[in-house]
Amino acid sequence: MHPILTGRGRILVYLAAWAPIAALLATVLSRGGAMAWTEAAIIAFPMCLLYAFVCMASWYLCRAIPLRETEILRLAGTHATAAVLCSGIWLVIGQALALLLDATSDFEGIDERYLSQLPILFLSGILLFLLAVSFNYLLIMLEASRRSETRALELQVQAREAELRALRAQIDPHFLFNSLNSISALVMADPAAARRMCLLLADFLRGCLKLGSEERIPLIEELKLAEHYLEIEKVRLGSRLIVQREMDPECENCPVPPLIIQPLVENAVLHGVASLLDGGTIRIEARRNGAFLNIVLENPFEPEGAGKNGTGVGLKNVKMRLANLFEGKARLDVEQTEARFRVELQLPCGRS
Amino acid sequence: MMVKVAIVDDEEPARKLLREYLSAYDDVEIVSECANGFEAVKAVTDLKPDLLLLDIQMPRLDGFEVLELIGHEVDVIFVTAYDKYALRAFEVHAVDYLLKPFSSDRLREALDHARKRLATKEKLPVENLAMSARPAGAKLERVLIRDGSNVHVIPVSKLDYVEAQDDYVCFRSEGKRYLKQQTLGDVETALDPSQFVRIHRSYILNIDRLARLELYAKDSHAAILRDGTRLPVSRSGYARLNAVLQ
Repeated sequence: MHPILTGRGRILVYLAAWAPIAALLATVLSRGGAMAWTEAAIIAFPMCLLYAFVCMASWYLCRAIPLRETEILRLAGTHATAAVLCSGIWLVIGQALALLLDATSDFEGIDERYLSQLPILFLSGILLFLLAVSFNYLLIMLEASRRSETRALELQVQAREAELRALRAQIDPHFLFNSLNSISALVMADPAAARRMCLLLADFLRGCLKLGSEERIPLIEELKLAEHYLEIEKVRLGSRLIVQREMDPECENCPVPPLIIQPLVENAVLHGVASLLDGGTIRIEARRNGAFLNIVLENPFEPEGAGKNGTGVGLKNVKMRLANLFEGKARLDVEQTEARFRVELQLPCGRS
Repeated sequence: MMVKVAIVDDEEPARKLLREYLSAYDDVEIVSECANGFEAVKAVTDLKPDLLLLDIQMPRLDGFEVLELIGHEVDVIFVTAYDKYALRAFEVHAVDYLLKPFSSDRLREALDHARKRLATKEKLPVENLAMSARPAGAKLERVLIRDGSNVHVIPVSKLDYVEAQDDYVCFRSEGKRYLKQQTLGDVETALDPSQFVRIHRSYILNIDRLARLELYAKDSHAAILRDGTRLPVSRSGYARLNAVLQ
């Protein structure tokens, strides 16, 4: 539907805009005393009212042949033809109006005087139609640009939100409470271990805060953070947590989004090793594969640990961040067998 | 009066801390330190402690499941880093709920509560409460059976059928039978109704095990399971079965 037709106010403004055009037309018709002004006006105003709606209909024509995607000749031809046709029909209706006035009012002979003005009316009709066409194209373009602007803003907000959510979800408060409880336990029994735990926790928290504010960090930094985390969890879980690393030195400096691996490591501990009576081994592997960086995380889990295997929020967040940051050029594959969980992260790694 | 305490936590430092705090009391004796729920059930059976200091998030058996298994035999103080279980803990009549990390004063308070409860000698029927304190809407995913000091964990997908036997229910799984003191009605409400159907006053059937139905007398049917077992189907049971199967 034409945007002008979407509100009563808009229609009124549009029709009001046609009033000066009608006045102008009346003035042109009465030039050189060919018609009296009142007589010209009584023809011009109804005709303009009618033409206002005819011109509005050109909107659909403009929509059908978009400015940018249509050949210029076809564009000009179509609109010229339409203008001539509309103007012609308009004149015929005007003639009918003149005949009606001639028969029913004091304006005797108005139809003859009307006929003498046909060329100028025809020309005005064409010009007004073309004016309406340009006006419509302007409207369409304005609307399109506003829409794309809103969309760009929306996307930006969405990406930002996903990013924030991912980072905010990063530090699990229960991890902190449990760690503090471990420190509380170590203070008397093993003060040196308690101090070490404090330092590890501080390093981890500082790392989360610092790295979280950057756009890309070298892989080695991200893995160091995971290392701190695992050291802390080792104090809690003891011999139940074993970590095995295979790191290709070539990918140490691959740029990665901060805290993209950390949630995967946390999952591997909380829903993997910690769910097993005797714990298990978490395997972390980083390889360079051409222009890509491959990170694999593998952990065993308890298949009968009903309802404790997480809700997948962490994985979903990582997936969303990857989609936002790499637009389909990064992947996260999840593979779950009987009692093993495996995630593989693939990121583009332009330079090293 | 001496209070016999068992500490149950899968984290060694957490156990250490409790041991250290408890060493200040002459009237508290630590009879066992357990690293998981299975050890806890065994300790309760063998050592009969008066009080459990029980972590909630543990591998395979969580604190609530331990409570469900040991029932009213012992009072419980939950010790956890999560505050989200407090309401459930209250519903199963835990003596207290300690949030990690906690001070020795806070533990003293909890112990005072426990001593009071022990002095009255009043035990609460925790077992059924533990079943009903399952998170709202959550259906039973596995059946826990205590067999002396042993615990069997049976995923509900491995259940064939459940049979009422006097004061007990008998869970049938992979050719074995497990008895549990519970009513068939309680079992029925805990199980997923789209998977388990009460086919008879005394039977709940896992519909995956059903091979066919036979008309066996006027108005009465028999369910033939994949392993050949015949179970009676009552008239209302037949209607319920049809409602689920179609």
